[in-house]
Amino acid sequence: MSTVSGQVRSWHFMRLKLRIIGNGMRGRPVRIVLFVFGMVAGLGMAAAGFLAFVASGVVDNDTGLVIAAYVGSALVLGWLLLPLLFFGVDETLDPARFALFPLPRRTLATGMLAASCVGTPALATMLALLGLVVAGALRAGVAGAVVGLAGAVLGALLCVVVSRAVTSAMAAMLRSRRVRDLTAVILTLLSASIGPLNLLLGSGVGQASRGPMLLAARILGWTPFAAGFVAPYDIADGRPLLAVTRLALVAVTVLLLLWWWSHTLESAMLGGSSEGLAGKAVRGGAVAALLPRAVRGAPPGVFTAVLARELRYWSRDPRRRSGLISILIGGAVMPIALTLFPGQRGGSGVALPISAAFACAVGGVITANQFGFDGTAYSVHLLAGVPGYTELRARAAALSLYIAPVLLVVAMVVGLISGKGDELVPTVGTMAAVYGVSLGAASLVSVFAPYPVPESRNAFASNNGSGSAKGFLSFVIMIGSMVVASPVLLGSVLLPGGWRWLVAPVGVAWGIAVLLLATRAGATVLDRRGPELLAAVTPGR
Amino acid sequence: MSSRRRWHCLSTVSGVTATVPDQAALALRGLTKWFDRKLAVDGIDLDVPVGSFYGLLGPNGAGKTTTLSMAVGLLRPTGGQAFVLGVDAWADPVTAKRQLGVLPDSVRMFDRLSGAELLAYSGLLRGMAPAVVDERSRDLLDVLGLTDAGTTLVVDYSAGMKKKIGLACALLHAPRLLVLDEPFEAVDPVSAALIRDILNRYVSGGGTVIFSSHVLQLVERLCTHVAILADGRIKAVGTLDEVRAGRDLEQVFVEVVGGRVATGQELSWL
Repeated sequence: MSTVSGQVRSWHFMRLKLRIIGNGMRGRPVRIVLFVFGMVAGLGMAAAGFLAFVASGVVDNDTGLVIAAYVGSALVLGWLLLPLLFFGVDETLDPARFALFPLPRRTLATGMLAASCVGTPALATMLALLGLVVAGALRAGVAGAVVGLAGAVLGALLCVVVSRAVTSAMAAMLRSRRVRDLTAVILTLLSASIGPLNLLLGSGVGQASRGPMLLAARILGWTPFAAGFVAPYDIADGRPLLAVTRLALVAVTVLLLLWWWSHTLESAMLGGSSEGLAGKAVRGGAVAALLPRAVRGAPPGVFTAVLARELRYWSRDPRRRSGLISILIGGAVMPIALTLFPGQRGGSGVALPISAAFACAVGGVITANQFGFDGTAYSVHLLAGVPGYTELRARAAALSLYIAPVLLVVAMVVGLISGKGDELVPTVGTMAAVYGVSLGAASLVSVFAPYPVPESRNAFASNNGSGSAKGFLSFVIMIGSMVVASPVLLGSVLLPGGWRWLVAPVGVAWGIAVLLLATRAGATVLDRRGPELLAAVTPGR
Repeated sequence: MSSRRRWHCLSTVSGVTATVPDQAALALRGLTKWFDRKLAVDGIDLDVPVGSFYGLLGPNGAGKTTTLSMAVGLLRPTGGQAFVLGVDAWADPVTAKRQLGVLPDSVRMFDRLSGAELLAYSGLLRGMAPAVVDERSRDLLDVLGLTDAGTTLVVDYSAGMKKKIGLACALLHAPRLLVLDEPFEAVDPVSAALIRDILNRYVSGGGTVIFSSHVLQLVERLCTHVAILADGRIKAVGTLDEVRAGRDLEQVFVEVVGGRVATGQELSWL
């Protein structure tokens, strides 16, 4: 520190973050490639968003309002939900690291916020929101552009703040032992997330009649989700006071969230409560203590040991637990939303075998960095010489024991409620095929592209500045597994009714075969590159 | 990751057949490690005789951890070889690792298991029979005073308890060579005495221990052999008496390593 008397400003945090991202990539070509991929994907999304906003300024007034409200809401909702489901929040700057510096909370909060704005997703969002300024100008001249700019700035701030606030709140909740009951959490969040999803899906753009969509857009316009984005239309209508009111609504939301988040920041700095079980002597043998009841009958050995430890870790490691819960929620929401709330298309919705398969594509993705979550603890496996094939299969089996029953039950319930019970048999096939492929692909990725995970208290903490690359990889795995399993998917839709049952055995065989092949391929690499894998997942190197 | 390059270097080096004395529990031949452009370990040759209690001394950053990591198969060397009881640890890692018990430093364990679960896990990974694992785990937890912490997760252990459970995991499969990285760091005197006794018993029973440390008094009391490492090279090596040559070990250490002594001129503002 050269300036003892100098003020710490926000741009110090931004520079620090850039420096950390840069240093993290030095001499690591894989990470540079991932980062570039993330940037390209982010730019693509930014261009799409920009064009959508500009388009809202070109078409007629009502349609423009609908587009602005919907695209804007989707953007905010994306920032709200995606970190919970896939990306994790970027914790390149861990607040705990600043605990010993004499920084006022205000400085720290604004600094962390400024640093959050440095990163691919935030930059892409800002670029996309520039379209709002253009649209405002097209709609209502200079005044429109000014209001559009204000709405864009506030919208970008809202996006960043909402993702930070929600993830840290969720992390605290999932950390506490009172919320250990998985089903309670799943049910709460399930009901919470169906609402907005239904709203979005239930009004499929273009198909629906104008009335309800416009109404929904007007309602959204009075929520923080879209208020900032529709404000230029008030200028166009000659009601500037209304525009100011809407902007104020967003500003107040941002301030409230900021205040809330800065308080959680303080507890994040101090570190959370301990997870420990009460200390008491073990009953029975050590081996019996390790093996959960579900696998106690299995022949004891390396496979069973890794399986048992993985089962324990999915429920004990807060980072893994939150990931698993998010996947289970996502896996349950998708078929429900796609099948039961089909929009205005005449009520048929997406075929159950396809919608359930979507959920399964998400299922395997969670293991894409399974070694990163182990961190240096992987050295135990390396020292014991665990065979790669056993390792990958045991990990896949452990995850499947959690996920498969939930997905099957959800598919069954959805099938029965929607009166599509006859589609259940092919659904089992498509689910098994897509799940097996996605798990296999994720296992491969976990061996080829491992990266360290910060040992943070925040369950949603992401890796060093390449959160978007990570999300991008997840999407590649999901889309890739749909493609690889597409013959089975097509079969479930195209085969004549009497032959559809065939999809079940073929799909199960397909999924298992791809999973075995992928883990076999990954294992040969893992056996050779164990030390390199350990080095790659060691944090702070 | 420049793993491909490291592979290449290794394959050229392992073509050379090094001579390894039969009585060496651990033999290092020209072990070298480059991190990017920084040379961390510079061609170390070392023979740890069977039945010896070997102390690896050195200041911070001397390359102790790097050397031990390469010797046990956790870190791939840029060049050179490591032999565990005559087995090339990088050509035949499975056989070599079977003979080894390792306590790495600054490495996390699977710390969301309880102590007993962690021991069971280590045992099963090593292919031991469950009954044996149960019996030895009970013994080890008892001797190390960890029985009361039975269901506490290792993540909630104190630093000293973590060292002890790590040592227990290294001992569980009764290895013939123990490689311990800083086994006495952050350990209270009572636990340190206990660990010392266990290790002494292990050595008198025919086992071999090599451990790194910078606590000179401890090394002086425990070790039969000593190697002093600085800047990635071995500066002094031999039996304890050879290295000391009638002087105090601390004197030898500071002299060999070339440390500076505060004159009183610096830090005048303190």
